[in-house]
Amino acid sequence: MRDLIDFWVGIQTWLFETLVAPVLYQLDLMEWFEPAFNAVEFVMLGAVQIAVIALGMRVIEKRWPLERHPDERLVRVDRVYTVLNKLGVVPLLVFSVSYPITNEIEYFVRALGMVPPRLEQMVPGLADNALASFLVYFVLYDFAAYWVHRAQHRFSWWWALHSLHHSQRQVTVWSDDRNHILDDLLVTLSLAVFAQFVGVQPEDYVLILMVGRLIESFSHANIDLSFGPIGQRLLVGPRFHRLHHALATAHERHIQDHNFAPVFPIWDILFGTAIYDGKARPTGVDDPRVDADNGRGWLVQQVTVFGRFLRALVPAIRRVPAQPGLRPPAE
Amino acid sequence: MRILSFALVAMILGTSAARAESVLVLNSEDASYSVLSRSQRTELKRFPVGREPHHLMPTPDGSEILIGSTATNELLALDSKTGERRRIVRDIIDPYQLGFSADGKWFVTAAYRLDHIDIYQADGFKLARRIFMDGLPSHLTFDAESKTVFVTLQETGRLVAIDLATQAVKWNTQVGSAPAGVIMPDANRLLVALTGEDRIVVVDPRDGALKGSLKTGKAAHNFWPKGDGRHWFLSNRVEGTVTLLDVRDMKVVGTIKIPGGPDDMAISGDGKEMWVTQRFLRRVAVVDLDKMKMVASIPVGKSPHGIMIMKTDWATGGPVRAASTAGERK
Repeated sequence: MRDLIDFWVGIQTWLFETLVAPVLYQLDLMEWFEPAFNAVEFVMLGAVQIAVIALGMRVIEKRWPLERHPDERLVRVDRVYTVLNKLGVVPLLVFSVSYPITNEIEYFVRALGMVPPRLEQMVPGLADNALASFLVYFVLYDFAAYWVHRAQHRFSWWWALHSLHHSQRQVTVWSDDRNHILDDLLVTLSLAVFAQFVGVQPEDYVLILMVGRLIESFSHANIDLSFGPIGQRLLVGPRFHRLHHALATAHERHIQDHNFAPVFPIWDILFGTAIYDGKARPTGVDDPRVDADNGRGWLVQQVTVFGRFLRALVPAIRRVPAQPGLRPPAE
Repeated sequence: MRILSFALVAMILGTSAARAESVLVLNSEDASYSVLSRSQRTELKRFPVGREPHHLMPTPDGSEILIGSTATNELLALDSKTGERRRIVRDIIDPYQLGFSADGKWFVTAAYRLDHIDIYQADGFKLARRIFMDGLPSHLTFDAESKTVFVTLQETGRLVAIDLATQAVKWNTQVGSAPAGVIMPDANRLLVALTGEDRIVVVDPRDGALKGSLKTGKAAHNFWPKGDGRHWFLSNRVEGTVTLLDVRDMKVVGTIKIPGGPDDMAISGDGKEMWVTQRFLRRVAVVDLDKMKMVASIPVGKSPHGIMIMKTDWATGGPVRAASTAGERK
């Protein structure tokens, strides 16, 4: 095991000291020295995830496909999303915007004299058990992610962004990262603020993201697989999540408002949004404007979906009441 | 022959006893601390501790070792003789760097992540004042009279002097890029390591005026005293070296190659070895100070940061020659 760790950190250190540290030093960014070293590991883990998806999950998907896709042209763009996300390009952009915001929130809270609670201080024994602590935070994080996901479907402006994720007609293991950057930013901000207030720590956070995202990639697999009567209620699998991507019909107009949970289906069961009917359905969105995302490349999708977002947002802005000082005098 | 055998056994036992020291290392990203055997050069056991422990410090009476758990806002106090957990001091917010004034009256923490410097009355850890200070408060040192604490601000490149009695800022001056370790080798000089540069600077403790500089290595970071009052070690994180400084004549007198982002240091009670945390490699380097060369590298947890060498094995107990990561206290 130690040999593996030495091998891993040896590569990480070499990459960092050869490519990153000299740049930070030259650009006078040495306060980012430690975070940048961790970012190198994030990219390395991303590469491992890509390998797991490409060499493991994809093989399973090819061997036992639920839907046969003779032309996989629509899937190509999802691979671009996956690479940009897993290798840190999108996370870096999102981080550079979200970090100052979450920092300001934390400073503000501290300035008020408030200290967010830490679960380790409230639950005896948790501080001394790294695995238990990780699992507790993982469950809490997933709970928050469930509600953020519901919000993505609930608000029209957020759905305008999130519908890009749902527009894919050929859902595969590559589809999980197919999101608009602004959608990624909003989700990250929401979950980061939640993490601040419940005390999810950076090392847990990275591990949660890694484990969670691999499970989520697999839940998008184009296979008809569930984990059995009990297992499918403990962990989200492809059959469970595929229903969430189902194409709405006249009989099932709100089918996508079910099975929201990212990792643990318990949230859907508790809040009445779970469906376990075992039916295989086609995927996509029954709105031609959204369906038009299919066949577009990464950049065109990002631009057109942003336009969709603005069009959804403008009526909302119009509905906001005028500021009190600008209102006409009461009659 | 019997006399020779006896002498050999005595020599071996004597050597072994002299090296029977426990080494305490904080694995900042594993939420744990490791206890190592100096004589066996191996990790004996790893214990959990809060979240993101970075630095540690003995209490003024030497009875306890305080470990700052930055993300859980607390200090874990270990019995310095046995290593047993004694207590947890709550509500010490983001205790990244910590230190006691020489008279033992003041306890100061630098909250690196949350941008404030907290001054506590050491007796009972009662907060006297929280001073919000933008720019990543990083390392700190005190003057010998316990009147002033000096704190580096890594992001803004400044060094700030704070009066302990009034908790008022006396001066706040620009010293260079990413200042980290700061020491006061005598009453007239502060030395500040610049992690964004390859040098240390000399600062006048009375008014913060810059008085000179000395080139060392890329990303000069933290100091540790050799113990003779004249020489100090300095880690250079990008250069991957530790330099030996003669602070009286202000010159570099030796360089040791330590790969993996060398950071904090500690010297054994017999003065023969220096142990250095290799942050990136998840190891601790052992340096033979006679040879001025790294002779071993011992695996520990992720991102090892603070380090301290105790005088005896914690399994058997005994007095402690406390060393700390702040560097300036001997």
